Amino acid sequence: MPFKDSGQGLRTASSGFREFKSRMSNKQTPFVMLAVAVVVILIGPFLPPGLRSLVIEIMILCIFAMGYDILLGFTDQCSLGQSIFFGTGAYGVVLAISYLNANLWLALIIAVIASIVLAFLTGLIAVRLSEAYFVIITAIFFSIFYLLSLSMSWLTGGDDGISITVPSLSLGFTELSLYNPLVNYYFAFFFLIISYLILTRVVGSPLGKVFISIRENSERTKFLGYNVFRYKLIAFILAGLFAGLSGALYAIRLRYGSADFFSFDWSVLPIVWVLIGGTGTLIGPCIGVVIMSLFQYYVSAWWAQYLIIVGVLIIVILRVSPKGIVGYIRSRKGKVKEKG
Amino acid sequence: MKLLETAGLTKNFGGLVAVDEVNFAVEKGELKGIIGPNGAGKTTFFNLITGSLKPTRGKVSLNGEDISGLPPHLISRKGISRTFQITNIFPEMTVYESVWAGVNSRAKQPWNPFIHAGAATDISRKTKEICQMVGLDSKMGELSTNLSHGDQRVLEIAIALSTEPILLLLDEPTQGVSPKEIDTMISVVRKVSEVAAVVLIEHNMDIVLELSDNITVLENGRTVTEGSPSEISANREVQKIFLGIE
Repeated sequence: MPFKDSGQGLRTASSGFREFKSRMSNKQTPFVMLAVAVVVILIGPFLPPGLRSLVIEIMILCIFAMGYDILLGFTDQCSLGQSIFFGTGAYGVVLAISYLNANLWLALIIAVIASIVLAFLTGLIAVRLSEAYFVIITAIFFSIFYLLSLSMSWLTGGDDGISITVPSLSLGFTELSLYNPLVNYYFAFFFLIISYLILTRVVGSPLGKVFISIRENSERTKFLGYNVFRYKLIAFILAGLFAGLSGALYAIRLRYGSADFFSFDWSVLPIVWVLIGGTGTLIGPCIGVVIMSLFQYYVSAWWAQYLIIVGVLIIVILRVSPKGIVGYIRSRKGKVKEKG
Repeated sequence: MKLLETAGLTKNFGGLVAVDEVNFAVEKGELKGIIGPNGAGKTTFFNLITGSLKPTRGKVSLNGEDISGLPPHLISRKGISRTFQITNIFPEMTVYESVWAGVNSRAKQPWNPFIHAGAATDISRKTKEICQMVGLDSKMGELSTNLSHGDQRVLEIAIALSTEPILLLLDEPTQGVSPKEIDTMISVVRKVSEVAAVVLIEHNMDIVLELSDNITVLENGRTVTEGSPSEISANREVQKIFLGIE
């Protein structure tokens, strides 16, 4: 009877939880996250339109960043091809809506499945290769897809892209229009929360622990009986899935998709977010997104060459703390604890 | 049937024959030593058995089943585990997490993304048992990279043990270990040999002679001789190789 000794099982189980070094969080983290979530929910209606639009963008890109953290931060695979899946997600939605007349949910599902399939296929080839070769092959994949998206303009609209009329959001009991910015705001927030919950679950699960073993020592992990290739492929697909979801939401927000979604920016940005925020922390990459987006929003307004400052900023952050901002906060906390 | 058997096992690196027609066998419950000068092919021999390298010729069988040429993770799943001469651990993982990773690999769903890693009680119990057995239970929460070299060498063995092997290959466990910690290491190897057959590569002759039931001597990739510790220490040819006695 599985129910009979469940109390006993739970108690012994909880003793197993504490054995794992918590990399993601400490006791306060759930409360901090909850507080942040509540603030984001509450300020939604009061934000000025420009800022609200920026927050929506940040929330959507956080999904992209957290997914990429699974790849770079947890399995140490530095892919330069993430724009492939961002673009695929975007076109998944755009094409499903404009050609198939799909409703919003169906369009999102198509976009995500397309990203998963593509991540699986490219992953089969790329993940076999190690380190530098992996970076190169993903960069090659990026070029192929970017050039294809430009040249196949009959399908993609090329640089001009394809505009769509976003269907209204059907919730069963009511229909909401995403043309209302506030609906868009909570729509993005919903997916951010779902993604965050799924990814924290994954990171704390046996799968996540195997990812960390692979990052720490992939050779030794093989000798423990793990098919490392398969696990790296799972990480690659997860990153592709969330990149695709993010691209889909981004296309819905802009109400169009163009070859620009496949551009190199969307392959480099995830690396920047994860590195400056802190690899292997999930929250860190989100902080990276916030910093980069705020920077772009405010600084680009008064100086077009703001990317130079961004570059210097990245170098300074990584010089001071190779583990990014979250890594820096953690190590400071650790020192305080040791002293006390 | 022998637990492990190699027949005519050979590995060429270009013109160099690193392992040359080695016939070697391990019985259940045995602790077998392998000695030989540097470059004798001892570690290459381990690499051939565990799948790091593919043999040029010859066969490796475990319990009569041919396992030559399988990839490392499948050989691990057959029940062969190994340690490394140069410490090969998970630096930023704790002792507990490192051992847990091995124990988890034998779980029904080691890839389960839906449960908390701490929720499987049998895995956490087994992990603690192994830490206890090698004497690392007081350091389970420490990061591997912060351990002393001696403790890291013990952890190296604990990680290899975590997959519940039937055969454990130890590649110079006392490498770089201080004299003070060597006794600990010897007692760990003894304990380990109670749960699995062990093949021990070791440069420290005293330790090999003390621990092994049987010893194989390799030189230039070939088996020179084989025998009990007393036979080996009395063997003129072995003395010539190791002591330079003519």
